[in-house]
Amino acid sequence: MSTERTVTVVPEDGLHARPAAAFVEAANEHDADVEVGTPDGDLVAAGSMIAVTSLGVAEGDDVRLVADGDDADAALDALAAILTTPEDELDA
Amino acid sequence: MSTERQVLSGTGATPRAGVGTVVWYDPETELPDLPADGVDEAAERERFEAARETAEAELERERERTAERVGEAEAAVFDAHVQFVNDPTIADAVEAAIDDGLPAPNAVHEAFADHIEQFEGMDGRMAERADDLRDVRDRLVRILTDGDRVDLAALPEGAVVLAERLTPSDTAQLNPERVAGFATATGGRTSHAAIFARSLALPAVVGVGDALLDVPDDADVLVDGDAGELVVNPTDEEREAARTEETAEVRPDPISTADGKAIEVAANVGQHAEVEPAVERGADGIGLYRTEFLFLDRESPPDEDEQFETIVEALDAFPEGRVVVRTLDVGGDKGVPYLDLPEEENPFLGERGIRRSLGPDADLFETQLRALLRAAAAGDGDLAVMFPLVATVEELAAALERVDEVAADLEAEGVDYARPELGVMIETPSAAFVADEFAERVDFLSIGTNDLAQYVMAAARENDRVADLHDPLHPGVLRAIHHTVQAGHEGDAWVGMCGEMAGDPEVTELLVGLGLDELSMSAVTIPDVKANVETTDTDAAADLAADARAADTRTKVLDRIHRS
Repeated sequence: MSTERTVTVVPEDGLHARPAAAFVEAANEHDADVEVGTPDGDLVAAGSMIAVTSLGVAEGDDVRLVADGDDADAALDALAAILTTPEDELDA
Repeated sequence: MSTERQVLSGTGATPRAGVGTVVWYDPETELPDLPADGVDEAAERERFEAARETAEAELERERERTAERVGEAEAAVFDAHVQFVNDPTIADAVEAAIDDGLPAPNAVHEAFADHIEQFEGMDGRMAERADDLRDVRDRLVRILTDGDRVDLAALPEGAVVLAERLTPSDTAQLNPERVAGFATATGGRTSHAAIFARSLALPAVVGVGDALLDVPDDADVLVDGDAGELVVNPTDEEREAARTEETAEVRPDPISTADGKAIEVAANVGQHAEVEPAVERGADGIGLYRTEFLFLDRESPPDEDEQFETIVEALDAFPEGRVVVRTLDVGGDKGVPYLDLPEEENPFLGERGIRRSLGPDADLFETQLRALLRAAAAGDGDLAVMFPLVATVEELAAALERVDEVAADLEAEGVDYARPELGVMIETPSAAFVADEFAERVDFLSIGTNDLAQYVMAAARENDRVADLHDPLHPGVLRAIHHTVQAGHEGDAWVGMCGEMAGDPEVTELLVGLGLDELSMSAVTIPDVKANVETTDTDAAADLAADARAADTRTKVLDRIHRS
């Protein structure tokens, strides 16, 4: 049973450099298998920096997160939090 | 080796010069030949794993060093690199290539190839990812081949690094205490390498082109970041001039002259990425925030919220200081594709600056003023707004009226706003002559010496044939500056200067003597200018300024400055 969520991206550079790195790191910290994509596009592995940055997600875009596994909800919470935090408030 | 003097032109990244010996840097490492008897797959996989760990450890060290030297925001690029090193897509591709019989370094090279090509084909931010991937690939290949890449962090004293291009991680390795500068074949003023160079106050010239590739290792060169030139085999005089450039310590707090007159020393910012380096070099605030960069390299103008947020960020960077934002200044030599600027016979005497804001760009002007008035209420620091190329009182009155209208609109809409300080940029002779009229109507005047010198001397800034005439030290320009300062003070306006002249440490005493309250410059020279202000005595400076104004030639002005 997978859970999913759609989130609007807040960081001004979208999913690039620092927010993308934080996002991928968080995805890999969870056991759940997480995929990410645009609402009507293909999903890619949330734990791959190349896959995540190649989505070209910009500020204000919606992204769809789909998680499958024991800590799926926790994983989605963590990833949604990164996507909705302005870049300068991300922990260094 | 030829010892003939040769000058290569590029784009200056930092207004500094350095002289030294060429060390060529080429990060590409040669791949090993394929072994005839095949590879030990398990051993190659282990080597790849070990290389990833080494790369991650290197990146952590470089991240720390960059955060310390350049800034936290710039260091973030290394977080991205760590994630690229550990990317499962890459790992799968590398292992598949090893299973196909490639040694680990060749497998790494192949695994990155498609992704690099894919990112290269995209525009803007995505093309930067291609650079990141190349950087990560070269790091892994170097580790796997025990590559003898030049260790940029351990260069000999006085080295000048030449490279086709330098990545952010390359540039952050350079120790400004030892390295004399760098020059690259590619890149522009806003490339990562150029921005890092400015943060590090390192002499640098970028975008020299293929001619750079012919400069041999061990050649003597002068990196002149001020003129945007790389001089091969410089003269003895040039070497001496570059060597005697000294840098002062950073003074983070506001300063005053030896006898106690407070002088604000602020930064000119033409790119958002220059805000942080300005803080780090001890700027009291921003004296010229050029909003043009928000409008360039895009298909349509930025909206109100985007401008609002960028300005608030600049204000938050100087909670105790002031940020002077110049409204959109296009026309002349500054084009913006979607603004449809007219072809003009004399663009510098044509429709530019406030003339466009009150004419064809009235809508953009209104949007910008809305963003500014909202930012004045939201940001930590104090906002000041100035209008460029104002020549008449009517233009100023019209601009001030627009501010009133926008304030009334925001009030009616119930939107939070505040009235910033308002000012005029003094760039035209007419503005200098009627500075008293302006001062009665605004809070401040800021002298743009580049354009003021151009118009007072009737000598175009970019025309080499009249370059000698385009000099703010001509008595004619000095008298215009002096008149502006006097008129400003009589009208209770503070008067600043935001042209190149303000950042020249040689003339700090003269500028204090002319009575300026604020000096704004490229962040790099802020420590030097602050140091000079602190040793200046205002009475002696006033004498110097009076003599310089009274001189009949530029030569006599220079003689007087050098005598003091």
